[in-house]
Amino acid sequence: MDTLTYLDGFAAGLYLHHIIYKFLKTGAGHMLQTTLSVPLDVRPESASRLAALIEQVKLREDKGRPEFAENFGRLLQDIPVLHFMSMSVFHSTSYDPIFIIEANFDGPPAVFWRQFEAMLGDVVRDMLRCCKKPLDRWATLYDAVTASGSQVALAPYLEARTQKPSVFHHGNRGLSRERVLSEAKLFVTLRDELDQPTQPYRGANAATVHQRLRDRMLAAYPWLSTPAPVRISPFEWFWDRLRFVVFLVITLFVLTLPGVILALLVPVFADLAVVTFLAILILASIFALRKPLPGTEVTTQFNLPLLLWKASPYIVGYVLAATVVLFPLDLATSWALSKFGVAPPELSMAAFWSVARHISLGLYSLIVVLPLIVLWLRYLETRDSSQDAPVISEALLEEMARKEDWVAQNHMGSIVLIKPGVLRTIIIRAGHRGLGLLLRVTATDGYLGSMRTVHFAHWAFLNNGSRLLFFSNFDQSWGAYLDDFIEKAHVGLTLAWGDGVGFPATRFLIFDGASHGRQFKNWALASRAVSRFWVSAYPDLTVNQIERNNRIANGLREQSLTEERAAAWMTDL
Amino acid sequence: MDDGSVTPFTPSASWRLEPSIAAKTQGLVVSGYSSLPTGTALMLNIGTPAAPDLGGGAFLRKLAEIAPVTPAVPGARERSTALAFSWTGLQKLGMAETSLASFLRPFREGMMQEDRLRRLGDRREGQWLDTVQKGGPEWSANTPSPDRSQGARAYQVEVPGASLAIQTNAQVHAILLLYTQTVADADLWATDIKAALLPHGVTVVREVDLTLDVHDNSHFGREHFGFADGLSQPLPFDTSGAVLINDTPVTSPDPVQGVPLGEIMLGYLNGHQEVVPGPVVPGDDRTATARLEPHPEAQGFSDFGLNGSYLVVRELRQDVPAFWRSMDSSAAAIRAADPQGSAHVTADWVAERVIGRSKDGNLLCPGGYLPVDAQGDPNNGFLFLERDRRGLGCPIGSHVRRANPRDTLAPTADQGPTLLAAANNHRILRRGRKYGSKYDGITLKDPRLADPSQPDANQLDANQLDSNRADTADRGLLFMALNTDIARQFEFVQQTWLLNSNFGTLFQEVDPLIGPEGRMTIPEDPLRRTIQVKTFIQMVGGDYFFLPSLPALAYLAML
Repeated sequence: MDTLTYLDGFAAGLYLHHIIYKFLKTGAGHMLQTTLSVPLDVRPESASRLAALIEQVKLREDKGRPEFAENFGRLLQDIPVLHFMSMSVFHSTSYDPIFIIEANFDGPPAVFWRQFEAMLGDVVRDMLRCCKKPLDRWATLYDAVTASGSQVALAPYLEARTQKPSVFHHGNRGLSRERVLSEAKLFVTLRDELDQPTQPYRGANAATVHQRLRDRMLAAYPWLSTPAPVRISPFEWFWDRLRFVVFLVITLFVLTLPGVILALLVPVFADLAVVTFLAILILASIFALRKPLPGTEVTTQFNLPLLLWKASPYIVGYVLAATVVLFPLDLATSWALSKFGVAPPELSMAAFWSVARHISLGLYSLIVVLPLIVLWLRYLETRDSSQDAPVISEALLEEMARKEDWVAQNHMGSIVLIKPGVLRTIIIRAGHRGLGLLLRVTATDGYLGSMRTVHFAHWAFLNNGSRLLFFSNFDQSWGAYLDDFIEKAHVGLTLAWGDGVGFPATRFLIFDGASHGRQFKNWALASRAVSRFWVSAYPDLTVNQIERNNRIANGLREQSLTEERAAAWMTDL
Repeated sequence: MDDGSVTPFTPSASWRLEPSIAAKTQGLVVSGYSSLPTGTALMLNIGTPAAPDLGGGAFLRKLAEIAPVTPAVPGARERSTALAFSWTGLQKLGMAETSLASFLRPFREGMMQEDRLRRLGDRREGQWLDTVQKGGPEWSANTPSPDRSQGARAYQVEVPGASLAIQTNAQVHAILLLYTQTVADADLWATDIKAALLPHGVTVVREVDLTLDVHDNSHFGREHFGFADGLSQPLPFDTSGAVLINDTPVTSPDPVQGVPLGEIMLGYLNGHQEVVPGPVVPGDDRTATARLEPHPEAQGFSDFGLNGSYLVVRELRQDVPAFWRSMDSSAAAIRAADPQGSAHVTADWVAERVIGRSKDGNLLCPGGYLPVDAQGDPNNGFLFLERDRRGLGCPIGSHVRRANPRDTLAPTADQGPTLLAAANNHRILRRGRKYGSKYDGITLKDPRLADPSQPDANQLDANQLDSNRADTADRGLLFMALNTDIARQFEFVQQTWLLNSNFGTLFQEVDPLIGPEGRMTIPEDPLRRTIQVKTFIQMVGGDYFFLPSLPALAYLAML
């Protein structure tokens, strides 16, 4: 009966997970920014036409409207929620061309699509005509939208074909476009004010400088008299954490399941003996396979034991939290089932200890399950082919170079194929889910960990999860961005991209991989498409500068600062 | 100017190559030839030879008689030579198309490719920028755009735009560097060489004198603005023992300046811990005679790159009066805006902040200068994060800090080692020398330069400078740097550090020394100062060259 109880508990857990996620999907509307992409298969015969259409709209909007001083002035004015947007066509020898619209904006998609359609509807309708008709229930809508002379709204179709990111990052999280722009304007005004030949700030104490600058700016920037809006609402903060904890608990639940089943079937002593014996066996095999494959090792500053040691409180906390959640869950299920007569009531202390024992043994079995996964993975890694010199079209490279390094930011889009196999599939799905949730919890200071140049970036699965799409809007050149990956974020990158076909040799999912600088750059380069149309609402602002502007503006919103705080605030000026 | 070495009188000069490797490597890799204070750079153009049947390499055979390329083997010499080729030069020599295609992309495209010029801060939207001499550069390799016409394809719709390869008046196929003990010898030698090469159709299209300007007791040279130069150089190490210091293999990195040998020479482990496959030539009798090694990856090909390197050359003209006028006016502006708090601000004070070091090469620190090391030389083993994180001594935007940020870019103290290691993946070995005469009237007569401790050193006013303006002689720096990955090293330094308008925590300002006119922030407590600096350095010409190993040179001579 015990077995049945536990499995039912598992089913109930999954259902709860489902309910929470459904609830959270509604909660997502509270997020300030949205990132999405619309991947559309292209009729191969019309791919070149589509590229020309994209170029055409780029030429039309980039320049040539004298009433707008800045590039893409009309577009940025008419789509006021937009942060970054791109349109590119990906070519590959493995699939027909894909047209992808990538958009990063404030607020919900419906508002964005309305503004998008009003601004670019005419030409986008032509672009859709270059795309294949979907074979599913959207075929009718496609026909209606692309019919000759059609006036049918595009937005519903684009919204329907939207692909949600699997992992995304919002740099300068919680700052709306309007806020980014007005704080940047304030910065320039302040700078000019301080650079006046004669001014009342130099020589005054810091608190006075703050006071004088505030008085001086209030007229032109009345919003300084209002308190700074919170960047991440308590609600969002809470849900981010809850989602992550739920994910962790479910993961733990699934991983301990084999151990629990074993515990239900055999006596405690036999269980402990079997688990310990298997663990030693597997760990020994891993030890034997731990060495990098010849010529694939790259030593870095990354230190796994140190990281594990630093993370040990979290690991212990994770186990405790999971246990705390699982106990009542299991008891409740057991109780509920007993009500229906499925199982005998188990509310005695004996029942409690029985559950506790099974769960503890389940946790103990992790010393077999986790190493087993690692061993399996390592076995796959030793037999993986990496692609050292993927085919890269020189003409394509030239086209990319022509579109890059005009402003402080750049853009990249990439599609890679995903390695097949059960384990790889589970790892990449669970890994992306976990990474995505983790980023929401950790990347709240505007930066993506040690990567301090990423504005909006996301991954998304395409074609039933057989391809992985990556888009990023970043500061500095593509080469410098990739060097950042190689030199600083190689662990995370290897984890996130290592399941791509041809990725440089990895070790235990996180080692080597992206540290193979040249191979990794070649691999990433070969997966790219020309960013034919790309627009940024603040092309000269880096993530760093936006944060700096925000600190300055927030300081100036305060009526007065202590001398000490004012002095610290002034270091940003 | 830290951007190009005038002298190599730093500890880095003491590293050597393991003897068997040294014998195959050009001496320029290990030495800036500090014992040979004069010299000439001859930019060669290979035209039509009088006797074409001799082959493209005939002039190299002639050259080997009168100016043999100096190996990296230590020894006292009266003359030394280095030789490097542009892509068009190798093409002229008659190298196979497959070989020409095996070099790095930046080298194949040349420095004057339009998109590259934009990244290097030279040209934008069809216009040369102020940091390039009026009318555009005078010389380059004139590397052609590759032909991308693929013929008609079904359903093809033309997309506008193609990248241009800018052409200069003078086309340079090779750069021959001559190092001598006297100016007279350099002139004599150059004359002999020109005469010998003429029958082979090889002409000198540009000649730049190479000067070392070492002051009496100092261990460094000064560039034309008067600042010690060439102080900070990468120190190579090699796990297989190719690098020696005092005959001991250096197998682990120097904590601050250490870079793998593969960052400087092809064929060794580089910063990404790999040996990058170098350019190839098809294996044949000539490769055997020249003793080229088999290529490690391409079966049946020989390794043309091993023990070679890429040489970046940029001729940078310096306008000395403009520099000091700009420093004077910046100092005056600061004093006018803040009469009480800036009596110490002089043109020298501003210039030191633009550079980041004192004239004698000592790093600016909060409250003073970094003391000299035990040998009395400028101390160069410093890091920024601990010492001067906010740039209160050495401004974040100063030239030395941009050219080699060390651990500057670490956002937190614990990331210092990671960011230092990252920065060292973008180092270049500088071999530049200055050209042209010293600025008459300032360099020697200006009391500020002769004796920086002079109390009224800042009193040299604009009039005095103007009276010296008659000296309009051509002078500057022949910037030369060795690296193995041009995009990741030289171009990265230029684009992501020096000319990055968002470097560190800065906004809308670039390198105050080599960049165009604009703002520079000088951090200070409680409030930073800003100055407006002018343009005083302009590019006159430049390109990417390949510095072959001696066996590779022998192969070329057989073409």
